[in-house]
Amino acid sequence: MNLRLHIWRQSGPDAQGMLKTYDVQNVSEHMSFLEMLDVLNEDLLTKGEVPVAFDHDCREGICGTCGMVINGRPHGPLTRTTACQLHMRTFKDGDEIYIEPWRARAFPVMRDLIVDRGSFDRIIQKGGFVSVNTGNAQDGNAIPISKKDADRAMDAAACIGCGACVAACPNSSAMLFTSAKIGHLGSLPQGQTERSTRAMNMVLQMDAEGFGACTNHYECEAACPKGISAEFIAQMNKDFVASAFGGRD
Amino acid sequence: MKAFGEIWRSNIFQKWLMALTGLLLVGFLLGHLSGNLLVFLGKEDINSYAHGLHTMGHGMVIWIVRLGLLSMFVLHVVAAITLSRRNRAARPTSYAKVTPRRSTIASRSMLYSGLLLLTYVLYHLAHFTWGVVHAENYVGQPGWQYTLADGTVVADVYRMVVASFQIPLVAVLYVLAMVMVGLHLNHAIASAFQTMGVTNKRIVPAIRSIGPLLSFIIAAGFSAVPLAILAGVVK
Repeated sequence: MNLRLHIWRQSGPDAQGMLKTYDVQNVSEHMSFLEMLDVLNEDLLTKGEVPVAFDHDCREGICGTCGMVINGRPHGPLTRTTACQLHMRTFKDGDEIYIEPWRARAFPVMRDLIVDRGSFDRIIQKGGFVSVNTGNAQDGNAIPISKKDADRAMDAAACIGCGACVAACPNSSAMLFTSAKIGHLGSLPQGQTERSTRAMNMVLQMDAEGFGACTNHYECEAACPKGISAEFIAQMNKDFVASAFGGRD
Repeated sequence: MKAFGEIWRSNIFQKWLMALTGLLLVGFLLGHLSGNLLVFLGKEDINSYAHGLHTMGHGMVIWIVRLGLLSMFVLHVVAAITLSRRNRAARPTSYAKVTPRRSTIASRSMLYSGLLLLTYVLYHLAHFTWGVVHAENYVGQPGWQYTLADGTVVADVYRMVVASFQIPLVAVLYVLAMVMVGLHLNHAIASAFQTMGVTNKRIVPAIRSIGPLLSFIIAAGFSAVPLAILAGVVK
């Protein structure tokens, strides 16, 4: 199939970017979206042009490295799918495809489709962990955890930190990401000791990074490649206010 | 504990303020609506109700309620503007193409429906509370009294309402404002519970369907009065 791509090109963090149009020919329907971009880049290199920069790593849909807004939707038109697992059979001959980077003040564009997601790392550093003294390995099943709590923790832990929630949110809010991290540890007994300070510190860091506030559109939940529920945001709101009015430091 | 100022300024706390004040304002609307619907019962009922509101607790209660409403309104609007400005700033460059999946016209237009309502509320107060606009129909005029069954002479609120809504422009503006109320609350009611942290798996789906239903009932209930007057059913 032949496609017309409109891709955001920006040579550096401070450079002025713009959408540029490229025609790609003979795209196989079996290619992944990223492989289609690889083919475009081969073509650009042959012509002596600068290839399109985009993030990618595992190409198995589990690492959260890839991510671009494809026709106005993070990771493209399919649900629960990362850009690398999106295949060209989803498109048809003659399609025009808009490809843009995640848009958020807290995710500055480094180059073309690559953004700096360091703000997520700084949120994690504020409490996305449990403090344990390392030593002898604990006995398996020493701490009983109900199936319900384990499932809930796993649902939240499925977050791969790709940033699609921020990209999809009309307010560039990071509340689904942050709430998944808080909800993951808050569902487990190991996470209870620091539960209050975790919610407080991670939320305040999220604000400091310049992410917007949730207005409950639920675009994040719909865009999340791991299908994480916005229910975790409600839980985070509750944990944050509980921490504000009775939390321990 | 963090300093209270830092917590107060946080996005989630501001959202909580909006949710809490918003729900209290919805509560007020339900009270207001039940009062308005007394128009359908006749002059005696609505006039004695209005008289009761103004004289309850030696006339103190109405001022306490007004003060409460004013502070809720101010908190709600200031938080809305604060958060909207932050949300705009969070995305300096917009997308060339956006394809929404889950958001609705109601959810995306909250700021605009809210600001239009704010404008309407000022006009509404100028009309029915301050008597500044459409003053010829205001209760304060000589001869606009009504004598209740117990002999008390009270302001004829019924006459004010009917005379006002017989002006088509007043009625139409009112109904349009109620469409805005319906649109705003369509997203607002369920949204407020999410913000306040309701996660119960049985309650959440119920709230998400009751919210839009309640918003429709409120908008339709308020609109019934001017429509009935305009149609000549109530006169």
